[in-house]
Amino acid sequence: MEYCIRISDIHVQLSGHYVLRGMNLEVQSGEFVSIVGENGAGKTTLLKVVCGILKPSKGQVHVFGYDLSQFKNLTLLRKQIGVVPQRSISHRFPICVEEAVLMGRYGKIGLMRRPKRVDWEKAHEALKLMGITQYSRSLVYQLSGGEQQKVALARGLAQEPSLLLLDEPTTYLDNESRSEIMETIYSIHQEKKLTTLLVSHDTHWVTRFSDKIYQLKDGESSLVEGIG
Amino acid sequence: MSWTQTLTYPFMQHAIIAILFAGVAFPMIGVFVISLNLIPLRFAMMHIALLGGAIGLFFKVDPLFMGLLFCTLSSLALGPISERMKLGLGTLSGYFMTLTLALAFILIYKANIHVLQAFNILWGNILSLTKGDLILVGIISFFILCIIFLFFKEIQAILYDREVALAVGIPEKWFYYLIVFVLGLSVAVSMRVIGALLVDGFVLLPAMAAIIISRSLKQTFFFSALFGLISGMIGLYLSFLLDIPTSSAIILVASLIIALCGLLKRNLLGYAKIS
Repeated sequence: MEYCIRISDIHVQLSGHYVLRGMNLEVQSGEFVSIVGENGAGKTTLLKVVCGILKPSKGQVHVFGYDLSQFKNLTLLRKQIGVVPQRSISHRFPICVEEAVLMGRYGKIGLMRRPKRVDWEKAHEALKLMGITQYSRSLVYQLSGGEQQKVALARGLAQEPSLLLLDEPTTYLDNESRSEIMETIYSIHQEKKLTTLLVSHDTHWVTRFSDKIYQLKDGESSLVEGIG
Repeated sequence: MSWTQTLTYPFMQHAIIAILFAGVAFPMIGVFVISLNLIPLRFAMMHIALLGGAIGLFFKVDPLFMGLLFCTLSSLALGPISERMKLGLGTLSGYFMTLTLALAFILIYKANIHVLQAFNILWGNILSLTKGDLILVGIISFFILCIIFLFFKEIQAILYDREVALAVGIPEKWFYYLIVFVLGLSVAVSMRVIGALLVDGFVLLPAMAAIIISRSLKQTFFFSALFGLISGMIGLYLSFLLDIPTSSAIILVASLIIALCGLLKRNLLGYAKIS
């Protein structure tokens, strides 16, 4: 099976401090891989490296077979990667849920073009999958952290990516919703044949669904044995 | 002299045309400023314009033209410099604000330039606009409207969250540079129209009022343009009626609109919380 992500010996420095030091990671196409580690271990940094937002000072990153240090058209690559960030939106930006989800289609629609009916349908489909159709006309900043997280997930799905990067997708959720969301994410992963890379500080919630789990500590990763 | 008689004078006609253009387009830029927290950039532009004006006076070139030129070039450069140096635009604006002010003072002192002459560039007056000024305001306003119309969805994503815009495959960096450029340009031109110290009133206040009552970015742009137009026109009329400075009158009306929007939001639209 081909590799979707292959990271070899990367070093990433932020504000003069090495966040990742000699980290290795391999994710095959179609796999559900989780990275666990404490807060500040470098999990979010790793996701930013995978989608080309951060460049490592040393080491190699291959995504979909492309060497990111050589690949010029990162915008094209990002259209294939759905990113679900951890943080919620706190500023009073006037946007309703369905528009925020439709944003996942913007890269694919292209410059100077308006969203078409098919884009709205994809957005509504994603809203339905995440069970937030009833909020479609609500303002995003008025939603709770957990609901905003579902909006971010729906946006990631509306993008129809091949690779889904999830940054602590259950942070703001209670135990019941966590389980429900993880089940949903996993069934979408299987149904859409996605490659999924999830980062979390909580090993408990990821063990059930992951093909592989990497432990991230002090900027280095190690494969957790006995999973999958 | 009656109001209708005043309307026959070219200075008043120019003022009304300027409000029609800038009153609609410039408050839309205010939406960028508030959403991306670019307020320090406006201060930097003011000081950069002062340096340009001082250089203009030194070389005997139109100080207003030089002020505009410096603002345009700086707004083109600030985005990429901030990105390359990994410094926030706010921090960089602070740096340029003090540096250009220091350079302007050195030039004013050494070249024996009359201080008031240099500072004249900062005191715009909507009642003293020339045909050339109107053409400039018209071109920039048209440019702003075109950018917003053509790239609405890209701008919406960037104002919502720059990282999300990047993640969904929008060339976020280039659009951010474009926003900074358009902002710098509009602040520079607003200085001529309303004066640097009151630019915020023209650019920011209508946008603030619009954000309070809007439920989408399209509504925000629409209301900011509407409020800009209303505050400009009523402010101009009040300045004539009460014999007060026009810029101040425009700002008073814009401030009143904000207060009304706040009241409207609280009493009529409510703060519907999602249960």
